[in-house]
Amino acid sequence: MAQTKVALEELNYDEQISYFPEHTWVRVKEDNITIGISDYAQDQLGDLIFVELPAVGDEFQRGETFGQAESAKTVSSLIMPISGKVTAVNEALEDAPDLLNRTPYQEGWIINIEAKDMTELKELLTLDQYKELLRNQA
Amino acid sequence: MSITIFTATGCTRCKIVKGYMEAHQIEYVEKDMKAEGKDEFQSFYKANRNAVFRGADGIEFPIITDGKNIRQSIGAAIAYLHAGQKLEGYFSVGTLHKEWVDGIHLSGGNPEYGDELIQVLKYIKGNNMKLQIDTDGRNSQILERVIGENLADVLIMDVIAPLELYGQILEKEINTEEIVKSLSFITKFPEAKLQTSIRPVRRADGSISYLTPDEIADIAKLIQEGTGSNKCRYLLKLSKPQDSNDKELQKVAPLLSNQLFSYRNKARTFLVFAEIEK
Repeated sequence: MAQTKVALEELNYDEQISYFPEHTWVRVKEDNITIGISDYAQDQLGDLIFVELPAVGDEFQRGETFGQAESAKTVSSLIMPISGKVTAVNEALEDAPDLLNRTPYQEGWIINIEAKDMTELKELLTLDQYKELLRNQA
Repeated sequence: MSITIFTATGCTRCKIVKGYMEAHQIEYVEKDMKAEGKDEFQSFYKANRNAVFRGADGIEFPIITDGKNIRQSIGAAIAYLHAGQKLEGYFSVGTLHKEWVDGIHLSGGNPEYGDELIQVLKYIKGNNMKLQIDTDGRNSQILERVIGENLADVLIMDVIAPLELYGQILEKEINTEEIVKSLSFITKFPEAKLQTSIRPVRRADGSISYLTPDEIADIAKLIQEGTGSNKCRYLLKLSKPQDSNDKELQKVAPLLSNQLFSYRNKARTFLVFAEIEK
């Protein structure tokens, strides 16, 4: 992705989630595993106008593209942070893709999955590690 | 006719298209995709995503629609507003920025509507834009008018093949005298650029092969004879078979840039300044 547009310290982060270097995140809450994109990612993309979502039942390996986020300026692939099968998609994004801009960690979640290999969770980045990654990319 | 125009804040080309509609009393509603029109543009994009062209720098604005047809870019929008569908094929979404407008194809449309095309070009140029116009030699009369009326800032002629292969490549009957006439006209324009993409061609026997160095020599000879000069700027370009509309041609492996040296050497027999695109 391109040089950050907002200073890294001005971005929002969530301490309760794990991050993937391709700027997606994973939240595990009881049996529910949710995936979205980080505030950094949405900031890079700009105002989103369309999100291409997968279908429930689709399966993806870690690192595979599971969807696409489109702004007027650019198109970016959404990259799977862990392997799994899609159990739900955020249909609200179809009519309001800007939820990803406004609230990327809450209403702007993208998919829920059933994880294929829970050990992959341990390989994700903590918030501090993710911030370090962003600093190194800046 | 009531038009919706999707614009981007501060977009000069959008202002020119709006100016055209105001000058011609065409009713329109503006939706700025970064301001009050954000939601409408999202809905429009969702419904018409396949019809909206996205280049390397994103979506080109303005986009206009009358509810039935969608036109994108300054040229295609004004052409549609000015003449409906008569100017189909003359404009596409370009890649140049600021005051430069490209995606203007003199050979792409119906020559019966040359007057309307000239009017559109005059309007755009009259708004302090610079025009990069291309031709493959067809519609030579329109090229002559564009040069005569000083409408082009850059003219590019893509001499796509030796005359006997023109129709084969374009998949239609071609009056090759048009190509020769265009070559004679284009020398009157100081900023003219002549070029050929080394492309794969479906031959008369059904086989597919790249233009050969000898065929490039034939093109160079054609240019030399047509322009009366062996000092024309002539550029040899690599083609991208994967961008072809023909699925069989898409499968052809791209040439490597060092494979163009033999083409350049042949071309220089007739055009001493022939070069390979860098």
